Amino acid sequence: MKRWLVIITVISMMLLISVSLAFGEAKISLDFWAQGEPGAVSIYNTLADQYMRLHPNVSISITYMGSELFPPGLIPALKAGKGPDIFGAGTGPGQPAAIIEAKLVADLTPYYFKYHWDKIIPPTIVNYTSSDGKLWAVGDSVEHTGMMYNKEIFAKLGLKIPNSYDEFIKVVDKVKTAGYKIPIGLGGMDKWPISHWQSMLFGYFAGPKGIDNVMFGEGRWDQPEFIEASRLFQKMANEGYFGPNPLSVGYTEVMDDFWAGKIPMTFTGTFVINDAFTKLGDEGLRKFGVFLFPPLKGQKIYPTEDIGAGWYISKSCKNPEVAADVINFFLFRHESRKQLLNSGLVPVGPIRDLLKEVKIPSLLAEFFEVVDRYRHNGTIHAYLDTVEPDNVTQVTYDGLQALIAGKMTPEQFVGEIQKEWEKAKAEGKILKPGGVIKPSGIK
Amino acid sequence: MKYLRFPEWVNVLFFLTPAVVLYIIFVIYPTLGLFQISFTSWDGISPIKLWVGFANYKELLFSDEIFWQAFKNTVFWAVISLFLNVFIGLVMAFLIAEPIKGKLYFQLAYFLPTVQAGVVTAIIWRWMYQPDGVINSFLRAVGLGIFTQGWLGSFNLALPALAIAGSWMSIGVNIVIFLGGIQNIDPALYDSAKVDGANRIQLFRHITIPSLRPTITTVTILTIIGSFKTFDIVWATTQGGPIRATELLATYMYKRGMLEVQYGLGCAMAVFLILVVTIFSTLYSFQQKKEV
Repeated sequence: MKRWLVIITVISMMLLISVSLAFGEAKISLDFWAQGEPGAVSIYNTLADQYMRLHPNVSISITYMGSELFPPGLIPALKAGKGPDIFGAGTGPGQPAAIIEAKLVADLTPYYFKYHWDKIIPPTIVNYTSSDGKLWAVGDSVEHTGMMYNKEIFAKLGLKIPNSYDEFIKVVDKVKTAGYKIPIGLGGMDKWPISHWQSMLFGYFAGPKGIDNVMFGEGRWDQPEFIEASRLFQKMANEGYFGPNPLSVGYTEVMDDFWAGKIPMTFTGTFVINDAFTKLGDEGLRKFGVFLFPPLKGQKIYPTEDIGAGWYISKSCKNPEVAADVINFFLFRHESRKQLLNSGLVPVGPIRDLLKEVKIPSLLAEFFEVVDRYRHNGTIHAYLDTVEPDNVTQVTYDGLQALIAGKMTPEQFVGEIQKEWEKAKAEGKILKPGGVIKPSGIK
Repeated sequence: MKYLRFPEWVNVLFFLTPAVVLYIIFVIYPTLGLFQISFTSWDGISPIKLWVGFANYKELLFSDEIFWQAFKNTVFWAVISLFLNVFIGLVMAFLIAEPIKGKLYFQLAYFLPTVQAGVVTAIIWRWMYQPDGVINSFLRAVGLGIFTQGWLGSFNLALPALAIAGSWMSIGVNIVIFLGGIQNIDPALYDSAKVDGANRIQLFRHITIPSLRPTITTVTILTIIGSFKTFDIVWATTQGGPIRATELLATYMYKRGMLEVQYGLGCAMAVFLILVVTIFSTLYSFQQKKEV
């Protein structure tokens, strides 16, 4: 009897070991290099845990790469074939175009139709994540920029949200008279915050079609509308709208002073809300509001919109089907989209229905409200610097600082941009017209 | 007990080989690769490396104004760094070599910034240089409010301001090197000079400096190399701004090479940098040897 017991025990243990080994071998590991600071974007960890619970044979490991759109370690890793399976990165020309041409990323077109992303992602966004009829990346979030303001300061000074540029001037003058050294925080030392202004003003003066005409057509950056937009920006800087030393102050310092109530207004994006929500809570955020920049005579109000980053599947990924399923789970599943919104990240595509089901920071809700109010006019870029080739971006950054310092005229500024644009165009480094073509065989 | 004896050259070879192999793999091979890529229009990603001969060098040397501005800024940075790291560093080392009270704390205080990461130093100084930062607050507090500036936003002051911050980070090591050198000087030299009536300045000028000549040469060369390599403190504060006023060769190389995906051009810049530093360091070493 005892012998039988020993034999049965040994056999069952061997069976158990072999079964677990078999499962162990079948386990699919996915490396995901996400953008953001560790701890700041914890929602992805939550979603990964949920996915792994539903798919015990899949293991997702997330590495946060910081906020750079193309961290230097990414390309060598991709080229070595030992990089991530899924990664977040920029979607404009330059590096994204080069990694596509070098065939380092997988074509997502089949998944675009398989998971019906075509019903969710707006064509304006597909334009910037596709080329040659193929989809290469999926936008991870949508961002808008707007004029954030301190409601308490506005109430104290008896100010109302300006509806025209003339009213806006009056608001700034009153703020200046009230003793605020910096009426509108800029953070010019960091360069990129200035390009938020450039993106918005270029869009206001040229309209969405005018911008697309330059990006994808024969339009030029040295057209009169861009000169006028630059002139207005320079005038605002000269008149002290951004304070006496806009190039000496960094973005972090500006935002600290803005949340502390020392700066009444700042033109920035929805990306700041998540962090501010963590620090101030919703009660703290209620002190702040947002309005879109008021139009000059004859202009329309255009909301700004761009994606945060694109999610790619690397060519060396051994399980692209699973990777695509993970992306679909993270960004397109109803429940995940609710969770993303709750954490302050706005998923790409329609969110109106989702908003009824979630409790988002009040400032973010206000942002959506003002954007929706003017969406029918069409949208313009929030971050032109992320969709232009980098040689253009660098010249733009320096030129914007030069405009503020009065060391360049608006004509010279747009002339420099156009020169670099032509160079990039000649080298094939500008964005190619996007749009996805349905491959044959896919219903 | 008998020991197996190898010829001398076998022993030498045995001990040298690992270091030489590592040096070839990790230094010589990548450096040669750098030279090779500098003759191509490679974007750093594509499998195709198109040979363009000297085109990258031609572009840099003859048609890129920003490159020359970055070069001038780097030389200016090196000059400030040399003054602070070599001259001030030497004086500081001379002063704390004396048996003074709390000597160890002084040494620690000077050395502390050296162990900090460059980015941390950058963040500290970025904060100090803000219009409402501690430097302007101090100036206002002592009645020198007219000298307050938007330091890092000023076209003329941003570069020296950052060079001072950079030297603050590196001066500690140099003080330690000088201190080591001073402590090796025969005290009898100082004693006899004192008997002859030499004051402290004369001791410094006629004994310390000549005795430390080889150390000064080393620190000078290290400072020049360090200046030409400076990247982190500028990148974490001004990114070369305002309007390229703080653009250094290393930051410009990063922009052109990495951000604009022009590895070939970036490598050409790196080769230029290597050549300049090598030529300068060699000339300086020869000059110093001649004087000795």
